[in-house]
Amino acid sequence: MKSNFLFLVGLAGALGLSWAGIVLGSNAQLGGLAPYYDENDQASYPGWMAGQAARGQLVYRDLGCAACHTQQVRRPDFGSDQARGWGDRQSVARDYIYQPAPQLGSLRVGPDLGFLADHKPLAPDADDILHLLYKGAPGMPSYKFLFEKREIGAGAQPSAVALNLVGRDRPAPGWEVVPTTRAVALAAYLTNLKASYTFPEAVPVPPEKKEGEATPAPKPAAPAAPPAAMAAPVAKGAVPAVPASPLPSPTPQPMITPTPKATQ
Amino acid sequence: MSPKSEYTPVDAASSNPLLFLLFSGLAWLVAAGILAVVAALQAHSPDFLSGCRFVTYGRMVPMAETAFVYGWLANAGLGLALWVLGRLAGEPLRAQNWALYGAGFWNLGVTGAIIGTACGDRTGFELLALPSYVQLLLFASYGAIAVCGLLAWSGRLRDLAFASHWYAAAGLFLFPWLLSIAHVMLFAAPVRGVEQAVVASWYAQAAWSLWLAPLFLALAYYVVPKLTGKVLPSYEFAALGFWTLLFIGGFTGGRHLLGGPVPAWISSMATVCSALVLFHLFIVILNLRGVLGAPGIAAKFIGFGLLAYVLSGLTDALTSFYGIALRTQFTYFEAAQKALALYGAATMVLSGGIYFALPRITGKAWFSGALVRAHLGASVLGVLVVLASLVLASVTQSRELLDPKVPFEDIVAHARGPLAGVVLGEVILLLGNVLFAANAGLTAARILNLSAPAAFSPPAALETPAS
Repeated sequence: MKSNFLFLVGLAGALGLSWAGIVLGSNAQLGGLAPYYDENDQASYPGWMAGQAARGQLVYRDLGCAACHTQQVRRPDFGSDQARGWGDRQSVARDYIYQPAPQLGSLRVGPDLGFLADHKPLAPDADDILHLLYKGAPGMPSYKFLFEKREIGAGAQPSAVALNLVGRDRPAPGWEVVPTTRAVALAAYLTNLKASYTFPEAVPVPPEKKEGEATPAPKPAAPAAPPAAMAAPVAKGAVPAVPASPLPSPTPQPMITPTPKATQ
Repeated sequence: MSPKSEYTPVDAASSNPLLFLLFSGLAWLVAAGILAVVAALQAHSPDFLSGCRFVTYGRMVPMAETAFVYGWLANAGLGLALWVLGRLAGEPLRAQNWALYGAGFWNLGVTGAIIGTACGDRTGFELLALPSYVQLLLFASYGAIAVCGLLAWSGRLRDLAFASHWYAAAGLFLFPWLLSIAHVMLFAAPVRGVEQAVVASWYAQAAWSLWLAPLFLALAYYVVPKLTGKVLPSYEFAALGFWTLLFIGGFTGGRHLLGGPVPAWISSMATVCSALVLFHLFIVILNLRGVLGAPGIAAKFIGFGLLAYVLSGLTDALTSFYGIALRTQFTYFEAAQKALALYGAATMVLSGGIYFALPRITGKAWFSGALVRAHLGASVLGVLVVLASLVLASVTQSRELLDPKVPFEDIVAHARGPLAGVVLGEVILLLGNVLFAANAGLTAARILNLSAPAAFSPPAALETPAS
């Protein structure tokens, strides 16, 4: 290496190649990803995040919730995500197109929150989330600074949004605990996290059927996947039963949430 | 080359920016250690300091990481890279004030990033916990530091004949472009949806493969032949190893996205490229293997660091495979890999570099050999305790995460024991680093004291024996 010029060209090439390959390459593939329009529903998915939910995502990022929680449900044969009831389908890139700051996360100290509002058997509502944030849980700190403990003025009515705390956390008589706007935004965001629609690319290609087999049973040659993980989508009927056309037809898609709730 | 003949007055003439960079780095090392202890305590007992909004666990982790990477590794790495470039130029560094003021503003920027993260501007990107408003300051101040390196590089007397030259130049020149790309694509005009995760994973990997690793490899390639007193074996392959890292390394970041909501080719490409980078590791160890038996304290640090570097590359390659990632993804094993790379490899090599360079820059022998050996012991023990604890935690965690019947309360409870080990390891590392910084400070203070032991008489006095 005797030439300055060639060396610098090499350095620039080294940086530019991986940038072009990974960043520009994936941007070319995903940059134009559009919402999916369903003709039956006369609606496109995913919907825009409501303003409060979008603000809540910034609170989520700022507090660092992603240090312990992921937001990506993986395929049934890759981990126990769906068997744990974290969602009936895997997350796909289209789920995130309207999110201002997607938080995929890299460590699971707590459960995945990608489709929190669809969790089985019981999805938490906003009140559950506020209580959890106030009180904490085993392995999760409390976020009391997201709440205001204040005195109910003489003759005033207690706030309608005050937490209904019991036991040790119950404030003294004449006092109440109300969530700040940040806490409300965070709860709005978390209750908004749902798999609104089963996109064609989110349906795994069904395993090849052997002759004579009636139903697509999980292949025995997948010892890594827990059996329950494979069973879940089959039981729900989310996997198209006809493997003749590998591309799912765009018309009838199984909805996970009923339509009136999605269009409210 | 005998140790005596490589004493050069060039070092003393360049000492201002070099000492400023090295001592800023040491101060950040201690600060990052304190933050890391707090973060480890919070991981073990989530309610520790949970009432304080500025130091939630989710903020503590990136704060500790920023102090460590942009405070300690960047300052020490840049200081030592400038030292290597100046030595290879054969004359005192030019434009020293650019490096000095640049380093001052750089540290201001890192401080701003940590305060910003604490006050609500967490970015949410790994290895990039820099709020957008400090990025321009960091870009400009890095550029000022690099001016000094650029002049030393372009004013050199010889051809680009040394591997240390290539690595130092790469480490010094590529980072500003990395940062500017990340700034545009993630902050100024953010890309949409999961593309942000792709850009962030590319940046994090490139910051390691194209910036931090070249900085400490430049030092290793420069110091190891001086420690062994021999020409590097199989040196003709060094260029291949260099270009392999630079061209392939940036493609390996996608392994963290395996199974995620991104195109599958990103992680497949990362698997292939992680395996190709093994070729680079092979050449590094082929060239530098002499350090493993070399005498002196610097050789012990650098030898440990290079072994950790190879091990870190091997585990990166292995965990990029589907069957293994199934068990390691989203567990503490990834934290262990990060500690192995950032602490086991980068920090150990740079510490060894400081043990070698500081006496030559100041012209004074190390203040206390006992403190040096205590630091070596604490570093090795601390790294091993942290790694062992995290791996132990990840084994149970991985098995229980895969079993959908185990509730999260149990997984958390079972991880508590090993996580206490992480706290212990971080405390040991912090103690060792306090000794390191104190010893370096007392050594530099000898410049002021004319009666202190003079330079290199005999030369061996500068080298602290390892036992």
